[in-house]
Amino acid sequence: MILTIHLDDVLRDTLSVPSRDLVTRPTGAAVRSRIQDAIAATAAPTTRLDFGEVGLIDFSCADEVVAKLLLDTAGDHYVVLSNLDESQAEAIEYVLDRQDLTVAAIPRVGDPCVLGRTTPELVAVFRAVLATGSGNAIRLAAHLDWSVDRTADALQSLALRRLVVAAAGTFSPLPFQ
Amino acid sequence: MRVVEVPQYFDDKGLDGLAQGLAPWPPDSRVLFDARATKWASPFGFTALLAASQALQALGAELPRLALPESDDVRNYWAKAGFFRHAATLFELHGKVPRRQPDEASDVLLPITPVRASEDVHAVVGRIQESAARILTNELHLEARATMRFSMALSEACQNVVEHAGTGGWVAVHAYNWRKRLGRRVVVIAVSDAGIGFRASLEPAEAKKHGDRWGDGAALEAALIHNVSRFRDPGRGQGLAAIKRFVVSWQGKISIRSGTARCSIVPAWDNDKALSEDLAFFPGSQLQIVIPAQEPAAG
Repeated sequence: MILTIHLDDVLRDTLSVPSRDLVTRPTGAAVRSRIQDAIAATAAPTTRLDFGEVGLIDFSCADEVVAKLLLDTAGDHYVVLSNLDESQAEAIEYVLDRQDLTVAAIPRVGDPCVLGRTTPELVAVFRAVLATGSGNAIRLAAHLDWSVDRTADALQSLALRRLVVAAAGTFSPLPFQ
Repeated sequence: MRVVEVPQYFDDKGLDGLAQGLAPWPPDSRVLFDARATKWASPFGFTALLAASQALQALGAELPRLALPESDDVRNYWAKAGFFRHAATLFELHGKVPRRQPDEASDVLLPITPVRASEDVHAVVGRIQESAARILTNELHLEARATMRFSMALSEACQNVVEHAGTGGWVAVHAYNWRKRLGRRVVVIAVSDAGIGFRASLEPAEAKKHGDRWGDGAALEAALIHNVSRFRDPGRGQGLAAIKRFVVSWQGKISIRSGTARCSIVPAWDNDKALSEDLAFFPGSQLQIVIPAQEPAAG
């Protein structure tokens, strides 16, 4: 189960003037507040923020909407971003990286990816989980041709950053749809 | 009456002369800004002049007078830039004001626009994108994604006014040929306010670290070079850092004047000093970003 929030709708409800752009800290804080209200009211474990009809997002607003949301969201709830264009992804990547945060994202063009502070190892495991589906460290280690310890460490990092769902030794991709 | 001559070429360097004319700040008598001989003003000049009057009024000074340029062409350009729309309430104008409306479909990418609140930033960003795309890609030969980056930089620059100045400010964006200083076409963003300035904004968090060295120059260096914010939130201080990153990637120049100092990120094509101190005081903060046309790759 997934809660999808169309950010253009939230923006329309938040602003007194029409705008497609997620800019300024006050706007970002107001949008985040509405997202948090929606998350508090849902039983869905994952929230997808849809950027499809949004224009620009600036750094301050990316910090307020995405970085602070990740910092404030409880550990058992997952957030994914979808329909990001190149400039939106760039702004979000920049603010997350500076705060050692990460988020799973689906760009408008291309495969799901990780935005923010990453390592080649983290990215490799994230892609492997997406490619192979749910499984444990042994199965994934075989797929990656890594040691089980190395794979387990990388999976734990992914789980701590809420980039995969971890339950009883099994790691599953986030539901993107 | 204090007569302050507006420089013939009123740009960021010209402001130093204007500030000298206003010294010691605040002026002890009514001010007459004399622009009769002024031949040209940049967005920086326009917005700084409005901020000067705004600062005088905040101090309770009598409405300053402004003697308009004698040249019809110059006055027409000032009208096209949207100067008179705002100057009418900030100055007692002396001279013929053209009836021409501000121009948004030419080299004036954004006429002089007040920035007082978050909604104003939304309006600025919404208005600039189409014209910015036209100028940046067609005339300055920047990559397609530069339009969004430019708009992001503009948004962050305007937000500095809303968040840090403690009062409103002004923004303007023009494109023009910068023959004397660069020999290329440029786009210039200017943002000016009459607020508390960088020194006062950062003082509670930064002054002790700098000891005797603390002043306008140290405050500007902290903000522009070291990305320091007055807020402890780790997400703060990213706006100027991001602007800087974009501007450097375009071989552009960013400079901020506040109080008695100016700090710049200086590109190879310019010979400005990275930090100028002990300038004549000018109220608030003035930010300028210059983005030059990209030169074709060698070979």
